[in-house]
Amino acid sequence: MLSPISAGRWDFAAAAHLLNRAGFGGAPAEIEALARLRPAEAVARLVDFSGTPDTTPAPAWAKPDPRRAEWLRKVRQATADERRELQREFQREQRQRMLELQTGWLSRMVSGPRPFQEKLTLFWHGHFATSVLKVKDAYLMWRQNEVFRRHGTGEWLTLLREVTKDPAMLVWLDQAQSKPDHPNENYARELMELFTLGEGHHTEKDVTEAARALTGLTYDRLRQEPTFRPRLRDQRDKTVFGRTGNFDGEDLLKIITAQPRSARFLTGKLWRFFAGTEPSDALTEAMAAEFHRHGQEFRPFLRTLFLSEEFHSPAVVRQQIKSPVQLLVTACRQLERPLPPGPVAVNALRALGQELFNPPNVKGWDGGVAWINTNTLLTRHNLALLLTTGENALPMMARKPAGKKLAGRAMARLSPHAADPDMIFPAEVRRSTDRLLAEVERRFINGPLQAKNRGALRDHLQAQGTLDDPDLLGFVRLAMCTPDYQLI
Amino acid sequence: MDTLRTRRSFLRSTALGGALSMGVPSFVAATFDQLHAAAEGRDVQTATGKDAPILVLLQLAGGNDGLNTLVPFTDDDYHRARPKLRIKADQLLKLDDRFGLHPSLAGLKHLHDLGQVGILHAVGYPNPNRSHFRSTDIWMTATDSSRYSNLGWIGRYFDNACPGADPTVGIAIGARSPLAFAAKKPTGVALENPEYYRFVDGEGGDMNGGGKFYRAMNRADATDSGGSVGMIGGAAAHSGSPLDFLERTALDAQVSSDRIREVVAKAKNQASYPATRLATDLKLVAKLIAGGMPTRVYHVSQGGYDTHQGQLPAHQRLLGELGDSLKAFLADLKELGQLDRVLVLTFSEFGRRVSENASGGTDHGAAAPLFVLGGKVKAGLRGEAASLAPRDLVDGDMKFRTDFRAVYAGVLENWLKTPSAPILGRQLTPIPVV
Repeated sequence: MLSPISAGRWDFAAAAHLLNRAGFGGAPAEIEALARLRPAEAVARLVDFSGTPDTTPAPAWAKPDPRRAEWLRKVRQATADERRELQREFQREQRQRMLELQTGWLSRMVSGPRPFQEKLTLFWHGHFATSVLKVKDAYLMWRQNEVFRRHGTGEWLTLLREVTKDPAMLVWLDQAQSKPDHPNENYARELMELFTLGEGHHTEKDVTEAARALTGLTYDRLRQEPTFRPRLRDQRDKTVFGRTGNFDGEDLLKIITAQPRSARFLTGKLWRFFAGTEPSDALTEAMAAEFHRHGQEFRPFLRTLFLSEEFHSPAVVRQQIKSPVQLLVTACRQLERPLPPGPVAVNALRALGQELFNPPNVKGWDGGVAWINTNTLLTRHNLALLLTTGENALPMMARKPAGKKLAGRAMARLSPHAADPDMIFPAEVRRSTDRLLAEVERRFINGPLQAKNRGALRDHLQAQGTLDDPDLLGFVRLAMCTPDYQLI
Repeated sequence: MDTLRTRRSFLRSTALGGALSMGVPSFVAATFDQLHAAAEGRDVQTATGKDAPILVLLQLAGGNDGLNTLVPFTDDDYHRARPKLRIKADQLLKLDDRFGLHPSLAGLKHLHDLGQVGILHAVGYPNPNRSHFRSTDIWMTATDSSRYSNLGWIGRYFDNACPGADPTVGIAIGARSPLAFAAKKPTGVALENPEYYRFVDGEGGDMNGGGKFYRAMNRADATDSGGSVGMIGGAAAHSGSPLDFLERTALDAQVSSDRIREVVAKAKNQASYPATRLATDLKLVAKLIAGGMPTRVYHVSQGGYDTHQGQLPAHQRLLGELGDSLKAFLADLKELGQLDRVLVLTFSEFGRRVSENASGGTDHGAAAPLFVLGGKVKAGLRGEAASLAPRDLVDGDMKFRTDFRAVYAGVLENWLKTPSAPILGRQLTPIPVV
């Protein structure tokens, strides 16, 4: 189990698989560069990114708001009408910032220097799924994203500690409201059920006791910081998983991460995200053992995973349905085009069911076949049109009809670029149908299309005669509408 | 060549021709006409028959303030709890000597007077959850508040009672399928706007060859009769291969896109609707029903009920939109001769706190009234109202008197004519809805 793939099996397809899953794929040149390395070197190039500088600047507003106290005072003193106006202004500003945050993250996935770090950050965002709809503070969402980015490859206990006191999480799961007489159980419950152990591995009693252990930890709205208030702390003994003591949050996290179930649960979830299949019991055990062997640290564990025979098996390769984010980002990288304008990109993801910083609920996105319904599939086909020709035929997504009209007008002014066919098809490739087809398969599918789809695309090309640039983009678009293209 | 000729004559003979020549992609098995014919045949034979009953789920998202929707105007506790938000007796649209509808619900009152509205008091569930998301999930999955499920109650209905049905057996008006539709074997389509529910042909690219491309696809496909035919015909759930799943959904998208757009182009509404989002959605539902879609369950949603502050104007607008839209919808259905086969069921994730808050609004609560509408409903006020006496409240919320799952059981058994226990996972005494 988990033995490394042999060098003899390391080729363009295997390198593409690694880049697709550990990152967001890429153009053929990038894949070839990885294919030329030895497997362990290729994995290291992605996973050991510390030596690759990432100088992406933080947004200017990504710090506690110095005007927060003044603003709160103003709100308190305002009349009802003024208060509404203040609130509207606040919401406008927050919306603008969230758009900047979403766009910035997507751009980083498309062209940042550390694709693996961003992919893993996306995993943690889905795991500790927190929505701005409740948190309502772009700074807190940015800050949580940074926690995932900074600690996502590190030790499990450290990450869990950071997340537990993360302000967005404190607000999201109501720890901010927890009082000793009525401890809020929301975080305690999801901590066990969704974040560390999975459903059915704890009792209701464990939840209430854990909630008591977490008391005292709360959120300082004024400073936008976590804080510990000793007077809110329940000082009595708690009994969690059979152990009794005057536990605090730190004790609780140590007890939980020491549960044998925890490593199995988490490595299984990582496997499902990166490999896309349900791990066998044997594989689960092997992964848990490997995770322990590395002191519950993610980076070495994932290095083993990405190198493993299992990860490169036919049951895994090109068998995962792309998430909307993967679809969009990978397509941009394959087309060697920039991300469409922020509002257009975010609208597309919303229509496809994966708006960043807005997961449907604390369980995160279900993923897999849940991404696909008739509406999202048609939208995927029309996203392919947008990314190739620049024509935006996606529905305008907004929560309110009024917002829809406004946003629609704004969006009409943003015309996304068409892709550049010269990037994709050098002159010599354009001369023959077979070479065009081979190039499309190599660049967009990273392997062969199903024979029937390949045949139909060939017939289509042959019927077209001479191909001009729009024809070629139309051809790419059709290839991107095959079921094959929805897989990675 | 035969295939092609058959295909062309098929295209000429149906309104689908236009859509297909526009280039709806088909990467899917078998000749399209066979599939379509199979699907057509099924409409009549199976659960999706022409006269089969239809359920329209109407979600009031955000948590509707039931207390100001159906006002217990003789209850002093109501007036005490709502010094600013209370609606006085003389403004209400009275239903009896204790309860009246919010003044902007004239549309609903009109339907009530026609005997087309049933109202159930204080519907909720034990250990209510006050999170929008969680409580919405609970209503959509019909599970206990302590349990999670990835299957919706309607999805389980599809799995249990509609095997082999056309994908359009469930249509959710909106970008996504609601959790209520989530099924083991994915069924049901999501439809935001028929205008966008299609493969858009590029303007810039020369896509005129597209039609040829698709014909070629179909011809290639005709050689291997793929799993999709079996699916439509009601074979086993998908084999587990993501590719099969994608191919089938592509087929569903194509069939439903063509068909929905055909129906929408052909059917005509017979009533005029207000220019609101909800009315627009219901208008589309009426069109789809009138056009003969084999759909058994529609899902429509009206958002904005999360009235933490400034509730009076917001709630007035929302309920006005609700009542007027429903009035138009039922009038339309009546003109279209469809009223007696449609049942509308409203639901909201929770009601709101009995006491108003300090910002002219109300916070998340628990039980609330639920409305059932249609030509055959058991009309009038039903069930037991909840006490608003402070000593009877739980954390400031009224206690539910009717479990929503018993209402679902009634809908399943009396209306959709299917045993409810396998779908709801328990045997409940159904609340009769018709």
